Amino acid sequence: MSYQNYVVAAYAVFFVVLLWDFLAPRIGIRQLLKTAKTRVTRQTKPDKNEPLTRES
Amino acid sequence: MNPVVRWFHQLGSPPYFDRFAARWAPWAYALAVLVMAYGLWGALFNVPADYQQGDSFRILYIHVPSAWMSLFVFALMAFYAAIALIWRIKLCEILAMACAPIGAAFTLITLATGSIWGKPMWGTWWDWDPRLTTELVLLFLYFGVIGLYHAIDDRRAAARAAGLLAIVGVALLPVIRYSVVWWNSLHQGQTISLFGKSTMDASMIQPLIWMIVGTKLWFIGSLLMRARADNLRREIGKDWVRQLAASNAGDNAR
Repeated sequence: MSYQNYVVAAYAVFFVVLLWDFLAPRIGIRQLLKTAKTRVTRQTKPDKNEPLTRES
Repeated sequence: MNPVVRWFHQLGSPPYFDRFAARWAPWAYALAVLVMAYGLWGALFNVPADYQQGDSFRILYIHVPSAWMSLFVFALMAFYAAIALIWRIKLCEILAMACAPIGAAFTLITLATGSIWGKPMWGTWWDWDPRLTTELVLLFLYFGVIGLYHAIDDRRAAARAAGLLAIVGVALLPVIRYSVVWWNSLHQGQTISLFGKSTMDASMIQPLIWMIVGTKLWFIGSLLMRARADNLRREIGKDWVRQLAASNAGDNAR
Protein backbone atom coordinates (compact mmCIF):
# COMPACT_ATOMS: atom_id res chain seq x y z
CA MET A 1 0.00 0.00 0.00
CA SER A 2 1.41 3.41 -0.98
CA TYR A 3 1.36 6.22 1.62
CA GLN A 4 0.58 3.54 4.22
CA ASN A 5 1.73 5.62 7.21
CA TYR A 6 -0.56 8.50 6.26
CA VAL A 7 -3.54 6.20 5.77
CA VAL A 8 -2.90 4.46 9.11
CA ALA A 9 -2.47 7.79 10.93
CA ALA A 10 -5.71 9.20 9.48
CA TYR A 11 -7.74 6.09 10.40
CA ALA A 12 -6.15 6.07 13.87
CA VAL A 13 -7.32 9.67 14.44
CA PHE A 14 -10.82 8.67 13.28
CA PHE A 15 -11.03 5.70 15.67
CA VAL A 16 -9.50 7.51 18.66
CA VAL A 17 -11.90 10.46 18.37
CA LEU A 18 -14.92 8.13 17.94
CA LEU A 19 -13.75 6.08 20.93
CA TRP A 20 -13.62 9.26 23.03
CA ASP A 21 -17.08 10.20 21.74
CA PHE A 22 -18.35 6.76 22.75
CA LEU A 23 -16.80 6.70 26.23
CA ALA A 24 -17.27 10.31 27.41
CA PRO A 25 -21.09 10.26 27.88
CA ARG A 26 -20.97 6.75 29.44
CA ILE A 27 -18.45 7.88 32.03
CA GLY A 28 -20.57 10.98 32.69
CA ILE A 29 -23.74 8.92 33.21
CA ARG A 30 -21.92 6.45 35.47
CA GLN A 31 -20.57 9.29 37.65
CA LEU A 32 -23.95 11.04 37.82
CA LEU A 33 -25.75 7.89 38.92
CA LYS A 34 -23.02 7.20 41.44
CA THR A 35 -23.46 10.72 42.85
CA ALA A 36 -27.24 10.25 43.00
CA LYS A 37 -26.81 6.90 44.76
CA THR A 38 -24.42 8.44 47.32
CA ARG A 39 -27.00 11.15 48.07
CA VAL A 40 -29.71 8.52 48.59
CA THR A 41 -27.42 6.53 50.93
CA ARG A 42 -26.55 9.66 52.95
CA GLN A 43 -30.19 10.62 53.35
CA THR A 44 -31.36 7.18 54.44
CA LYS A 45 -28.43 6.51 56.81
CA PRO A 46 -29.19 7.32 60.51
CA ASP A 47 -27.17 10.22 61.91
CA LYS A 48 -24.59 8.80 64.34
CA ASN A 49 -24.00 12.19 65.99
CA GLU A 50 -27.63 12.49 67.04
CA PRO A 51 -27.87 12.10 70.87
CA LEU A 52 -29.64 8.99 72.18
CA THR A 53 -32.99 9.64 73.76
CA ARG A 54 -35.90 7.65 75.24
CA GLU A 55 -38.42 10.06 73.78
CA SER A 56 -40.09 8.76 70.70
CA MET B 1 -54.80 12.87 20.66
CA ASN B 2 -52.85 11.67 17.64
CA PRO B 3 -50.42 8.91 18.82
CA VAL B 4 -47.41 10.60 17.14
CA VAL B 5 -48.18 13.95 18.79
CA ARG B 6 -48.73 12.18 22.12
CA TRP B 7 -45.37 10.41 21.73
CA PHE B 8 -43.63 13.76 21.13
CA HIS B 9 -45.24 15.15 24.27
CA GLN B 10 -44.16 12.07 26.24
CA LEU B 11 -40.61 12.41 24.94
CA GLY B 12 -40.43 15.82 26.60
CA SER B 13 -40.77 14.12 29.99
CA PRO B 14 -37.23 13.63 31.45
CA PRO B 15 -37.80 10.08 32.83
CA TYR B 16 -39.47 8.98 29.59
CA PHE B 17 -36.60 10.42 27.53
CA ASP B 18 -34.04 8.71 29.77
CA ARG B 19 -35.67 5.32 29.19
CA PHE B 20 -35.99 6.04 25.46
CA ALA B 21 -32.32 7.05 25.10
CA ALA B 22 -31.04 4.15 27.23
CA ARG B 23 -33.03 1.73 25.08
CA TRP B 24 -32.24 3.01 21.57
CA ALA B 25 -28.68 4.39 21.81
CA PRO B 26 -27.03 0.91 21.89
CA TRP B 27 -29.01 -0.10 18.79
CA ALA B 28 -27.86 3.01 16.92
CA TYR B 29 -24.24 2.38 17.94
CA ALA B 30 -24.43 -1.30 16.95
CA LEU B 31 -25.93 -0.49 13.55
CA ALA B 32 -23.34 2.27 13.04
CA VAL B 33 -20.46 -0.10 13.78
CA LEU B 34 -21.84 -2.73 11.38
CA VAL B 35 -22.45 -0.23 8.57
CA MET B 36 -19.11 1.52 9.05
CA ALA B 37 -17.25 -1.82 9.24
CA TYR B 38 -18.77 -2.78 5.89
CA GLY B 39 -17.93 0.64 4.43
CA LEU B 40 -14.35 0.54 5.73
CA TRP B 41 -13.82 -2.97 4.41
CA GLY B 42 -14.83 -1.70 0.96
CA ALA B 43 -12.76 1.47 1.34
CA LEU B 44 -9.57 -0.27 2.45
CA PHE B 45 -9.66 -3.60 0.61
CA ASN B 46 -12.14 -3.55 -2.27
CA VAL B 47 -11.74 -0.22 -4.01
CA PRO B 48 -8.71 0.07 -6.35
CA ALA B 49 -6.02 2.66 -5.64
CA ASP B 50 -6.43 6.01 -7.37
CA TYR B 51 -4.28 6.38 -10.48
CA GLN B 52 -2.88 9.74 -9.30
CA GLN B 53 -3.14 9.72 -5.48
CA GLY B 54 -2.34 6.06 -4.92
CA ASP B 55 -3.72 4.69 -1.65
CA SER B 56 -3.75 8.06 0.11
CA PHE B 57 -7.17 8.69 -1.43
CA ARG B 58 -8.56 6.06 0.99
CA ILE B 59 -8.42 8.80 3.66
CA LEU B 60 -11.32 10.36 1.76
CA TYR B 61 -13.67 7.66 3.10
CA ILE B 62 -13.40 9.06 6.61
CA HIS B 63 -12.64 12.68 5.69
CA VAL B 64 -15.69 13.37 3.52
CA PRO B 65 -18.36 11.79 5.80
CA SER B 66 -16.84 13.63 8.78
CA ALA B 67 -16.84 16.94 6.88
CA TRP B 68 -20.48 16.48 5.92
CA MET B 69 -21.31 15.58 9.53
CA SER B 70 -19.53 18.70 10.81
CA LEU B 71 -21.91 20.87 8.75
CA PHE B 72 -25.02 18.74 9.28
CA VAL B 73 -24.59 18.60 13.07
CA PHE B 74 -24.13 22.37 13.29
CA ALA B 75 -27.29 22.98 11.23
CA LEU B 76 -29.23 20.52 13.43
CA MET B 77 -27.85 22.14 16.59
CA ALA B 78 -29.08 25.55 15.40
CA PHE B 79 -32.47 24.02 14.49
CA TYR B 80 -32.91 22.55 17.99
CA ALA B 81 -31.67 25.80 19.53
CA ALA B 82 -34.22 27.80 17.53
CA ILE B 83 -37.06 25.51 18.67
CA ALA B 84 -35.79 25.78 22.26
CA LEU B 85 -35.67 29.57 22.06
CA ILE B 86 -39.10 29.95 20.47
CA TRP B 87 -41.12 27.32 22.35
CA ARG B 88 -38.93 26.94 25.46
CA ILE B 89 -38.80 23.16 25.09
CA LYS B 90 -36.24 21.86 27.57
CA LEU B 91 -35.51 18.67 25.64
CA CYS B 92 -34.57 20.73 22.56
CA GLU B 93 -32.11 22.74 24.67
CA ILE B 94 -30.56 19.46 25.83
CA LEU B 95 -30.43 18.03 22.30
CA ALA B 96 -28.91 21.25 20.89
CA MET B 97 -26.17 21.26 23.51
CA ALA B 98 -25.56 17.53 23.05
CA CYS B 99 -24.89 18.17 19.35
CA ALA B 100 -21.93 20.50 20.04
CA PRO B 101 -19.25 18.02 21.24
CA ILE B 102 -20.21 15.49 18.56
CA GLY B 103 -19.99 18.13 15.85
CA ALA B 104 -16.67 19.33 17.26
CA ALA B 105 -15.37 15.74 17.18
CA PHE B 106 -16.32 15.34 13.50
CA THR B 107 -14.81 18.74 12.66
CA LEU B 108 -11.60 17.75 14.41
CA ILE B 109 -11.50 14.49 12.41
CA THR B 110 -12.10 16.47 9.20
CA LEU B 111 -9.24 18.88 9.88
CA ALA B 112 -6.80 16.21 11.09
CA THR B 113 -7.46 13.71 8.29
CA GLY B 114 -7.40 16.51 5.71
CA SER B 115 -4.07 17.65 7.06
CA ILE B 116 -2.68 14.10 6.99
CA TRP B 117 -3.86 13.70 3.40
CA GLY B 118 -2.52 17.16 2.46
CA LYS B 119 1.06 16.43 3.48
CA PRO B 120 1.82 13.84 0.76
CA MET B 121 -0.56 15.37 -1.84
CA TRP B 122 -0.03 19.13 -1.40
CA GLY B 123 3.36 18.95 0.29
CA THR B 124 2.14 20.75 3.40
CA TRP B 125 0.20 19.91 6.57
CA TRP B 126 -1.72 23.18 6.50
CA ASP B 127 -2.55 26.09 4.24
CA TRP B 128 -4.67 29.16 4.98
CA ASP B 129 -6.96 28.13 2.15
CA PRO B 130 -10.61 29.35 2.32
CA ARG B 131 -12.07 25.85 2.85
CA LEU B 132 -9.56 24.89 5.53
CA THR B 133 -9.78 28.24 7.30
CA THR B 134 -13.59 28.31 7.38
CA GLU B 135 -13.66 24.73 8.67
CA LEU B 136 -11.24 25.78 11.43
CA VAL B 137 -13.55 28.71 12.29
CA LEU B 138 -16.38 26.14 12.52
CA LEU B 139 -14.36 24.17 15.09
CA PHE B 140 -13.86 27.39 17.11
CA LEU B 141 -17.59 28.06 16.90
CA TYR B 142 -18.28 24.59 18.30
CA PHE B 143 -15.79 25.31 21.11
CA GLY B 144 -17.54 28.64 21.69
CA VAL B 145 -20.93 26.95 22.06
CA ILE B 146 -19.50 24.31 24.44
CA GLY B 147 -17.59 26.92 26.45
CA LEU B 148 -20.55 29.28 26.75
CA TYR B 149 -22.85 26.46 27.84
CA HIS B 150 -20.48 25.50 30.64
CA ALA B 151 -19.63 29.07 31.68
CA ILE B 152 -23.10 29.88 33.04
CA ASP B 153 -24.42 28.10 36.14
CA ASP B 154 -28.10 28.28 35.24
CA ARG B 155 -28.47 25.43 32.71
CA ARG B 156 -31.46 26.94 30.93
CA ALA B 157 -29.93 30.41 30.61
CA ALA B 158 -26.68 28.80 29.45
CA ALA B 159 -28.47 26.75 26.80
CA ARG B 160 -30.30 29.84 25.53
CA ALA B 161 -27.07 31.88 25.27
CA ALA B 162 -25.14 29.06 23.58
CA GLY B 163 -28.12 28.32 21.34
CA LEU B 164 -28.15 31.91 20.15
CA LEU B 165 -24.48 31.60 19.21
CA ALA B 166 -25.30 28.42 17.28
CA ILE B 167 -28.09 30.18 15.37
CA VAL B 168 -25.83 33.10 14.45
CA GLY B 169 -23.06 30.66 13.48
CA VAL B 170 -25.28 29.04 10.83
CA ALA B 171 -24.25 31.93 8.54
CA LEU B 172 -20.85 30.24 8.26
CA LEU B 173 -22.23 27.02 6.75
CA PRO B 174 -22.86 28.34 3.19
CA VAL B 175 -19.47 30.08 3.31
CA ILE B 176 -17.79 26.72 4.00
CA ARG B 177 -19.90 24.97 1.36
CA TYR B 178 -19.21 27.52 -1.41
CA SER B 179 -15.70 28.59 -0.36
CA VAL B 180 -14.19 26.48 -3.15
CA VAL B 181 -16.46 28.22 -5.69
CA TRP B 182 -16.19 31.80 -4.46
CA TRP B 183 -12.41 31.93 -3.99
CA ASN B 184 -9.34 30.41 -5.57
CA SER B 185 -8.78 27.41 -3.39
CA LEU B 186 -6.11 24.75 -2.99
CA HIS B 187 -8.89 22.45 -1.84
CA GLN B 188 -10.55 20.58 -4.68
CA GLY B 189 -14.05 21.50 -5.79
CA GLN B 190 -17.13 19.35 -5.40
CA THR B 191 -16.57 15.81 -6.72
CA ILE B 192 -19.50 14.04 -5.09
CA SER B 193 -23.07 15.13 -5.62
CA LEU B 194 -26.10 13.48 -4.04
CA PHE B 195 -28.51 14.63 -6.72
CA GLY B 196 -26.33 15.55 -9.71
CA LYS B 197 -23.53 13.78 -11.53
CA SER B 198 -20.45 12.92 -9.46
CA THR B 199 -17.01 13.20 -11.03
CA MET B 200 -15.83 10.32 -8.84
CA ASP B 201 -15.88 6.89 -10.46
CA ALA B 202 -19.00 4.88 -9.56
CA SER B 203 -16.91 1.94 -8.31
CA MET B 204 -15.40 4.16 -5.62
CA ILE B 205 -18.64 5.73 -4.37
CA GLN B 206 -20.37 2.76 -2.71
CA PRO B 207 -18.13 2.53 0.41
CA LEU B 208 -18.47 6.28 0.79
CA ILE B 209 -22.26 5.99 0.93
CA TRP B 210 -21.98 3.27 3.61
CA MET B 211 -19.65 5.51 5.62
CA ILE B 212 -22.04 8.46 5.30
CA VAL B 213 -24.92 6.29 6.59
CA GLY B 214 -22.68 4.84 9.32
CA THR B 215 -21.61 8.24 10.65
CA LYS B 216 -25.26 9.35 10.73
CA LEU B 217 -26.19 6.28 12.80
CA TRP B 218 -23.20 6.90 15.08
CA PHE B 219 -24.41 10.46 15.55
CA ILE B 220 -27.88 9.23 16.60
CA GLY B 221 -26.36 6.93 19.23
CA SER B 222 -24.00 9.58 20.51
CA LEU B 223 -26.69 12.28 20.57
CA LEU B 224 -29.00 10.07 22.63
CA MET B 225 -26.23 9.19 25.12
CA ARG B 226 -24.99 12.77 25.52
CA ALA B 227 -28.55 14.09 25.84
CA ARG B 228 -29.25 11.38 28.43
CA ALA B 229 -26.19 12.47 30.44
CA ASP B 230 -27.23 16.14 30.36
CA ASN B 231 -30.83 15.24 31.20
CA LEU B 232 -29.63 13.28 34.27
CA ARG B 233 -27.32 16.15 35.31
CA ARG B 234 -30.24 18.59 35.27
CA GLU B 235 -32.57 16.21 37.10
CA ILE B 236 -30.12 14.79 39.63
CA GLY B 237 -32.14 15.88 42.68
CA LYS B 238 -35.41 14.39 41.41
CA ASP B 239 -37.01 11.21 42.73
CA TRP B 240 -36.89 9.32 39.45
CA VAL B 241 -33.08 9.78 39.24
CA ARG B 242 -32.69 8.58 42.84
CA GLN B 243 -34.79 5.54 42.09
CA LEU B 244 -32.81 4.88 38.92
CA ALA B 245 -29.51 5.28 40.78
CA ALA B 246 -30.63 3.05 43.64
CA SER B 247 -32.02 0.30 41.45
CA ASN B 248 -29.76 0.44 38.46
CA ALA B 249 -26.34 1.71 39.60
CA GLY B 250 -24.59 -1.49 38.59
CA ASP B 251 -25.39 -1.38 34.90
CA ASN B 252 -26.11 2.32 34.59
CA ALA B 253 -24.30 3.21 31.39
CA ARG B 254 -25.81 0.65 29.05
